[in-house]
Amino acid sequence: MAKSVRCFIRLIVCLIPIILVTGCWDRRELEERTSVLAIAIDRAETNREHYQLTVQIPIPIKIAGSSGKGGGSNSDAVKIMSVTGRTVSDAANNLQMRLNQRLFLGHTRVLAISEDIAKQGIQDIMDNFRREPQIRRLMWPIIVKGKASTLLEIKPELAQIPVVFLMDLVENGSKMGTIPDQTLGDYFNQTSNKTMEPFMNLVEASKKDVTWKGIGVFRGHKMIGQLDREQTWSLLQLRNEKKGGDIIIPLPNTEDGYVTFRPHFVKKKLHIDKAKANSSGASSFVATYHCELQGDIVELTENMKVSPEKFILQMQALIKKEMESRAKKMLQPLQKQYNSDILKLGLTLRALHYRDYWETHNWKEDFRDFPIRVVYTIKLRRLGMEMQ
Amino acid sequence: MSAGKGIPEHQTLSLWQQICLITSTLIGVGVLTLPRATSSKLFEGGWVVPIVGSTGAFFSLWLIARLSRRFPEKTFIEYSQIVWGSVKWPRLGRWLSIPWITIYLLYMYLSTGIASRLFGEVVVTSVLLNTPIEVIIITMFMLALVLCWHEVEVVARVNELLFPLILLPLLFIALASFQKAEWSNLLPIFRGTPRSVIEGVYEGIYSYSGFEIMFMFFAFAHKNTKKEVAGFYGILIAMVIYTLIVGASISVFGYEELQRVTWPTLELVKTTQVPGLILERIESAFLAVWVAAVFTTVANAYYVVVFGLRQLLHKDIIFQRVIATVLFVPMFFFALWPQNIVEIFHVTSYLGLSSLVINLAIPIIYWIVILLKDWMFKPERKNVDG
Repeated sequence: MAKSVRCFIRLIVCLIPIILVTGCWDRRELEERTSVLAIAIDRAETNREHYQLTVQIPIPIKIAGSSGKGGGSNSDAVKIMSVTGRTVSDAANNLQMRLNQRLFLGHTRVLAISEDIAKQGIQDIMDNFRREPQIRRLMWPIIVKGKASTLLEIKPELAQIPVVFLMDLVENGSKMGTIPDQTLGDYFNQTSNKTMEPFMNLVEASKKDVTWKGIGVFRGHKMIGQLDREQTWSLLQLRNEKKGGDIIIPLPNTEDGYVTFRPHFVKKKLHIDKAKANSSGASSFVATYHCELQGDIVELTENMKVSPEKFILQMQALIKKEMESRAKKMLQPLQKQYNSDILKLGLTLRALHYRDYWETHNWKEDFRDFPIRVVYTIKLRRLGMEMQ
Repeated sequence: MSAGKGIPEHQTLSLWQQICLITSTLIGVGVLTLPRATSSKLFEGGWVVPIVGSTGAFFSLWLIARLSRRFPEKTFIEYSQIVWGSVKWPRLGRWLSIPWITIYLLYMYLSTGIASRLFGEVVVTSVLLNTPIEVIIITMFMLALVLCWHEVEVVARVNELLFPLILLPLLFIALASFQKAEWSNLLPIFRGTPRSVIEGVYEGIYSYSGFEIMFMFFAFAHKNTKKEVAGFYGILIAMVIYTLIVGASISVFGYEELQRVTWPTLELVKTTQVPGLILERIESAFLAVWVAAVFTTVANAYYVVVFGLRQLLHKDIIFQRVIATVLFVPMFFFALWPQNIVEIFHVTSYLGLSSLVINLAIPIIYWIVILLKDWMFKPERKNVDG
């Protein structure tokens, strides 16, 4: 008797979990989802108040390798759909009305925003992306010159799915140190952080391909300007110790001679010193970036006709001068024109000089007049396979 | 089967089992919100909170261990009656101890409910969006129920078994996320007032509740183990994990951003890129493993409630099984009582405060009573509690 009761209880205990513990409410097979790879947000053409949401959806069966007759022209591998709506989620809901399967944003890798909208402010757009749990903080937010949807419509031919091409472009660039590694999560952190301003990568798309143009500089949630490639590389060296791209300098005293310097290692040290009291300066602090570049000469189009020892010294001085002037060209608009601290200088100031500087200053305004000096040290190591 | 009547050797808890019990009960849902709670008052210096808070926990657990050492092989339920009573009036002790035991058991009961609710909220908001929260809570309760049908030594072994599953993912996340760290976010180290430190610790106190289960479980410790040492290591492990997680979160996000996210630790998991990109979207995997951490918290606390009732009423294991099943119903409704996420966080903050009262006030009051009695009935001392 007791044994059968025990048996019965055991049976119940085994059965109840089978019913309850399976967790099948959210089961969704891969083919029951519409995965969005990229989202582009534009202003709607019909109504300026509305947003136009363009998505890129891969068509699995058309992707080469997934089935026997796949492949073909890569324009078929993805579907591009556009909808409009008052807000981002409204547009997403309208999009859902046109889809047979449920929209899934968990695989979205790129968020393209048109320059127009970025300049108007993107706080309202980002709210949805902050709340939505499917959104990954590691996706790339990108500003597109002109219409954002052009970025999704490119046909790069080198990759089947345009977004994969774009993603690789940004990822490889950030690995090489030429493109800032700026994810959506970074953007969120920077907008929340009181010491710094956010920025985003800026690209331009044509019919066939896409070019990285630099970065869009924000103040608050509004884009207020941009830095071109050379300026961004200077920024990357001072901000992230990334090497940036090759530095091409016209040789002095020559017709059409150029020298190309390729940095390999960047070391940056930021010193914040109390300056000697000067009559005009409002703040008594000076920030000095000491940046050391180690690298090689990779191209020299004109023979310099000097001894190697002298040549190296000459080149180092030349590159140093060029880099310092480039840094100035980067800081000038950043401070005077945009007044936007994307350098993370404020963070260091708050960290190290909280009591004697930060408490008494309003960094959002005072960044403009904060004296920043940049000193480069160039260490020319090698000359490539050539011995002069 | 009362603990007082000598426990078979194989049923006692080893030092490692006690450590596992303490640490795995401490580490629970609190970790998911800890970085936000700690940095809300102390800003960049939020990582100080786990360290400062742990000193309180060390002290409290030390008192509990000393209590247990004074009344060997007796649980809180049993020695309460001795503390409050005397040889002449044994019934007096029983009645006087009832309020303390009620507060203790009620607190454990409510915190069990709210911990499972919090866990349900995390799961529902981030991974299983369409699953009713009731189902998640019930499944968690079911798991705890199965554990409550067994004796203490099973609980200890389950905790021992799940211990690495709780510890390793957290350690991994904390260390892996440091590659994205922005160290300047952790400075200046201190910019608040001493008052803000206290407020900050108060915010983080919920994460340090849970070791009060040792009021009961110390009674089953093997006699050769040092309970104080177990308590020290148990809290030390939790403290290191907490400090790492809070430090990692602040350095990755900055304290401003932390204030804006509901589940900072989960966001940390989401931003952490596993080197080599073998796994993407690891937050689902993390939450799956995280079930173990919440389970040990919920089940251990609930076990204490059920076992405490059994001892209080001098019943056997059958009673324990019945009462465990029956008590689930009110707890389920209590868990569903807070109407929204803001209310839940209010309740957890009240629970944190009451845990402070229970963990510090009860041992201190008990020690005062014991020392007073020692002082008043000095000649009788040997007869009272050996």
